[in-house]
Amino acid sequence: MIIALVGNQNSGKTTLFNALTGSNQKIGNWPGVTIEKKEGIIKGTDIKVVDLPGIYSLSPYSDDEEVSRKFCFEEKPDLIIDIIDATSLERSLYLTTQLLETDIDVIIALNMEDILTEYGVSIKNDLLSQKLGASIVSISAKKGTGIKDLIDLIKNKKYEHNHHIKIYPSDIEDVIADNAAHFMKNQEFKRFSAVKVIEHDKEYKVLITPKSEENNAILKEKYQMDGEQLIADQRYKFIERLKKECLTITPRPESITDKLDKIFLNKFAAIPIFIVIMALVYILSVGVIGGLTVNIIDMLFNGASVLTLDFFGLSWDFSVNVVGLGPWLSGLILNAGGSEWVASLVGDGIIGGVGAVCNFVPQIMMLFSCLAILETTGYMSRISFFLDRVFHKFGLSGKSLIPFIVGSGCSVPAIMSCRAIEDKDERHLSILLTPFIPCNAKLPIIALFASFFFGPSAWFASFSLYVFAIVIILLSGFILKHLFYKGHSSTFISELPAYKLPSFKYVTRDVKDKTLAFIKRAGTIILVCSVIVWFLASFTWSFQYVDGENILIQNSMLAGIGNVFAWFFYIMLGGNWSWAASVSAIQGLVAKEQVISSMTVIAGLADTAEEASIFTSGVFSFFTPWSAYAFMVFNLFSAPCFGAIGAMRKELGSVKAMFKAVGFQIGVAWFLASIIGAIGWLIAL
Amino acid sequence: MQKKKHLSIGDEGHLSDLRRGQRCLVLDFHNDNAALRRRLLDMGITKGVIIEIKKIAPLGDPVDISLRGYELCLRKADMASIDIKVVA
Repeated sequence: MIIALVGNQNSGKTTLFNALTGSNQKIGNWPGVTIEKKEGIIKGTDIKVVDLPGIYSLSPYSDDEEVSRKFCFEEKPDLIIDIIDATSLERSLYLTTQLLETDIDVIIALNMEDILTEYGVSIKNDLLSQKLGASIVSISAKKGTGIKDLIDLIKNKKYEHNHHIKIYPSDIEDVIADNAAHFMKNQEFKRFSAVKVIEHDKEYKVLITPKSEENNAILKEKYQMDGEQLIADQRYKFIERLKKECLTITPRPESITDKLDKIFLNKFAAIPIFIVIMALVYILSVGVIGGLTVNIIDMLFNGASVLTLDFFGLSWDFSVNVVGLGPWLSGLILNAGGSEWVASLVGDGIIGGVGAVCNFVPQIMMLFSCLAILETTGYMSRISFFLDRVFHKFGLSGKSLIPFIVGSGCSVPAIMSCRAIEDKDERHLSILLTPFIPCNAKLPIIALFASFFFGPSAWFASFSLYVFAIVIILLSGFILKHLFYKGHSSTFISELPAYKLPSFKYVTRDVKDKTLAFIKRAGTIILVCSVIVWFLASFTWSFQYVDGENILIQNSMLAGIGNVFAWFFYIMLGGNWSWAASVSAIQGLVAKEQVISSMTVIAGLADTAEEASIFTSGVFSFFTPWSAYAFMVFNLFSAPCFGAIGAMRKELGSVKAMFKAVGFQIGVAWFLASIIGAIGWLIAL
Repeated sequence: MQKKKHLSIGDEGHLSDLRRGQRCLVLDFHNDNAALRRRLLDMGITKGVIIEIKKIAPLGDPVDISLRGYELCLRKADMASIDIKVVA
């Protein structure tokens, strides 16, 4: 048996899916979190459940909504669980009236019943069930109440079968019957199709006959509106009657959400509040947590004699004398009679490379905690609401904010989440520009450069890059819109979900997933690449070992490769020919944090001095704050990693569009970075 | 689009002309964009429905409206295609 979960956006489908199947899919407090169908098995049964993207109607607008419609029509589930947000009954029942016109059985799960009293609403379930001709189960997907009743009902098959209740006035019902009578015998969903013929839906054009046109003309004459309007109107009229009979509403005082929105959406205060909140997020994660933790983790991996903790320009030094994992392992290998190059492979290559990105785990965890809290409270939807005006001017949608926020984690799911944007042009622009948002893998690059070159104002340098990213996204959107997507109007339809207290479960889950993904990459891709970089940097083309005395790193294979590309980075590095920085930046294609790992490995090999940091090492000492900022900008905007490029290809639909997009991104990155680098170069002259 | 300021009770105009807190009755649509029209119908914006302007974004657009017991955000450009009569 296959069951489809269908319902409006943000109605709690995924929460119910998780409750039914015991799985742990991502849930958000904004419409459109589910973008692809997900399958699971109801606990203790062999019944398959499919969670579908939220829809408002069976004539959908965006690609993710099309997934839901297709599933119901082509895969034909045995049963639909229609999840109804009891707090917006009227709109939810509109979809129900459409589902009841298909030939699939429908059970109505009346969700969020527990908060109805808060809304001053009470629903007569039995009467409603009788009027709709469908079984109703009251549930709270979040608290888990009513789930057992729902499962029992499905298992016992005691639910009401779909017997096509009549919801329209008799003259319209007659036309429906007449239309259906003229269909071929094997026509599927006869009642549904007959209604579509009245609506003149272009997908059902082939079913239109002279007789149906004649019927339509009569209806149009009588009701003074076209078929599409008439059907929508009559559905709502039916629902209004239902509501009168089955629902009592007691007026309630202004909701907390409305009160909070008076502050958070206030004409004058909204934008300052938004800027303060976002700045706080970066002060907390990059400033406070970063300053306090980076050196501790670095000490564990690479050892230190003095531990420095920074807190807003204040810094404390502690005498520690920790050996660190890398040097300890290297020492162990040398003592056991291992050769110097094996010790270097482990110490400089593996531990150096992997440790370089692990330094940033606490900052990433803090950043994602903050963003997850903003998401789950519903504030993120407000940002999307008031930024729509700005985004729309620049060819994007307020809904582009979602991929941009998701993109601060990883571009791959972010590019996929662009599917929720209805308008094709706005969607394409969003896919193209999402990789400009600094993802968690770019954070190490930013944090490392910012903390070394900008000291106590590192948080500001980081924050400024995010602002810079937004400015460039808007500018690019504006230019591309006017070059390629002229004279096009688009729509924005969204909802403001009620404010909720942050859900601890949601936040921890989200942070755990993203952090584990980051650590996993460090242990796989970054580890392998670090070993490769170590190898290329440790040997010459004739496989002589670079010992730092007779044979220098400048003669290594890696230097040879870097020298091929160094011209490309010459201007942004302030007129410095650096094979080391070039070859590191190129590795950003594999994974962005690899840039830092590569620099660490190279610096570790180039300098034999104890405790040499990246920027005191001879190969990277040329960096000035200007060229450092330029290098950050290049890595921020240039082509994303292969994973994200793959996602772009999939969502843009062609290899050609993907190459165009990547070319555009590299072009923007090179241009901006070169300008910044050139300014620094000129100032220094 | 002609911008009328301060519609008062009984006046007719477009949904986009209203101020916060005003309520209106939907009279009709005029719309070339078939997909948008369909969407607005699906969301319950049919003839005769009462709409209240609940919240306006700080930059003046989009607008959060309340109808049929729920709320919905629309852009002003889309709201301009809905003819209304002010009722409160």
